[in-house]
Amino acid sequence: MTEDKPLVTIQGVHKFFGDHHVLKGIDMTVKPGEVSVIIGPSGSGKSTLLRCINLLETISAGRIYVHDDLIGFKEVNGKLHDLNTKSIAAQRREIGMVFQRFNLFPHKTALQNVIEAPTQVKRQSKAAAKLKALELLEMVGLSDRADFYPSQLSGGQQQRVAIARALAMEPELMLFDEPTSALDPELVGDVLEVMKNLAKSGMTMIVVTHEIGFAREVGDTLTFMDGGVVVESGPPREIISNPQHHRTKEFLSRVL
Amino acid sequence: MELINAVPVRHPGRWIGAAIILIAVALMIQSLVTNTRFRWDIVRTYLFDVLIINGIGWTLILTATSMIIAIVLAIVLAFMRQSDNPLFRYVSWVWVWFFRGTPVYTQLVFWGLVSTLYPKIILGVPFGPEWFSFDTSTLITATFGAIVGLGLNESAYLAEIFRAGLKSVDNGQMEAAEALGMRRSKVMWRIILPQAMRVIIPPTGNETIGMLKTTSLVLAIPFTLDLTFVSNTLANRTYLPIPLLIVAAIWYLVITSVLMVGQYFIEKHYGKGVDNVMKAPVKATEVAAAAHAHPMNTTNGTTEGGK
Repeated sequence: MTEDKPLVTIQGVHKFFGDHHVLKGIDMTVKPGEVSVIIGPSGSGKSTLLRCINLLETISAGRIYVHDDLIGFKEVNGKLHDLNTKSIAAQRREIGMVFQRFNLFPHKTALQNVIEAPTQVKRQSKAAAKLKALELLEMVGLSDRADFYPSQLSGGQQQRVAIARALAMEPELMLFDEPTSALDPELVGDVLEVMKNLAKSGMTMIVVTHEIGFAREVGDTLTFMDGGVVVESGPPREIISNPQHHRTKEFLSRVL
Repeated sequence: MELINAVPVRHPGRWIGAAIILIAVALMIQSLVTNTRFRWDIVRTYLFDVLIINGIGWTLILTATSMIIAIVLAIVLAFMRQSDNPLFRYVSWVWVWFFRGTPVYTQLVFWGLVSTLYPKIILGVPFGPEWFSFDTSTLITATFGAIVGLGLNESAYLAEIFRAGLKSVDNGQMEAAEALGMRRSKVMWRIILPQAMRVIIPPTGNETIGMLKTTSLVLAIPFTLDLTFVSNTLANRTYLPIPLLIVAAIWYLVITSVLMVGQYFIEKHYGKGVDNVMKAPVKATEVAAAAHAHPMNTTNGTTEGGK
């Protein structure tokens, strides 16, 4: 894994929902180990972009590569073919996703949530998966909550379980879709702390968030999106302290 | 701290209502006891009659087997209806349209007449060689017709119940599971269906109780061993319809009550993590009692190694 070769390459990506043009030509790269933070007003297309990387949405034009794999299609003699469900599932295994609303499985305990995919998808033994899951729950500070159902956990705890669940598949890329937006303010810190530690451990992360402080402290790149385009992108401190574009200035003045 | 001990609101209307109901019930009991035309002696004689008990057995067999067939089919039909495959969706829709659109009585009469319609069933290549054949009447007996007829009809209703249940599960569940790399069929079976069961169980219990009584229609086939048919036969033989109707009604009530108890426990099972989780603070004594059973109440309790 060379440092310079990007893990994620997004080239000229467009996305239409019917007539609604949500992404209007996005170009972006994320290197291995990089923490790429995307900010922008609601409706700017930042969540849609994230969902396209994980195939929760299909792009209308352009290409997305993760690790040289073309996401969602295979190219045969210059013609794109839809991937079958098996190949799509295989691509998704390499990419972890954390949702705004956690989406834990409510009928399963925290531990069962974490071991579900390793045992069902990777066919790991239950014992091995459990061992690993308890390690992950320990890492997110919830080893004493392993047997709790999601409804017995606070929002922040649920989100940390969700992070552990995604990490259990040992992805090379983690996507965070506004992971703290649904949380009470006093619970945000714990989740950000877990994400910060994850970044330190070298995980490649793309984070859509409104937490400018997190972007400044943890992010390697900050991308500001508005109206379906990347308005500007660069080192977080520079962009936050000295935004070049008036839309970035305007947005930052409202959220800071 | 002074605990509030307020005088509760009085409800004189409730007391009056209760009194009226009590009087009505007393009058009914009096008439049940004093009206000799109920013939309680006959009810007692036939309540445990071997023919009646046999009839109950057959009614239970018909109910259970046809419901099992219906549930299996309904899961398949509901999954097909949610599938990406348009052929599956179409087949499922037509199935429900047909079996829900024709009376169950008509369907049962039809199953009784299949052997008249097709006296022989021949397996082979159309217009080509014939591999083997058999008489339809040996395959489609009255029992077979009753079970299949009731099961197929019920599957259409249950399919709609299951479909509603699957739709009630938040879309985020499918997304989260798919994002973990799980295949759609696995997500449906392991993530969506178990959550949908919470919504599916109550109306399915309702349908099961309905089926218990729908089995009385199997005389259309004709199938003549179920509880209603047997009690009617006995009533005709003895010229005593009222006590035998009561016998049948008592047994239907007993079975329904047992089914309701079963439903309670099934609902409890599928409500885990959602319904039967203690979230609100409870009384101190209950906390102490539940502390061992439930990790919720142990502050920073030990981790039990998960089941």
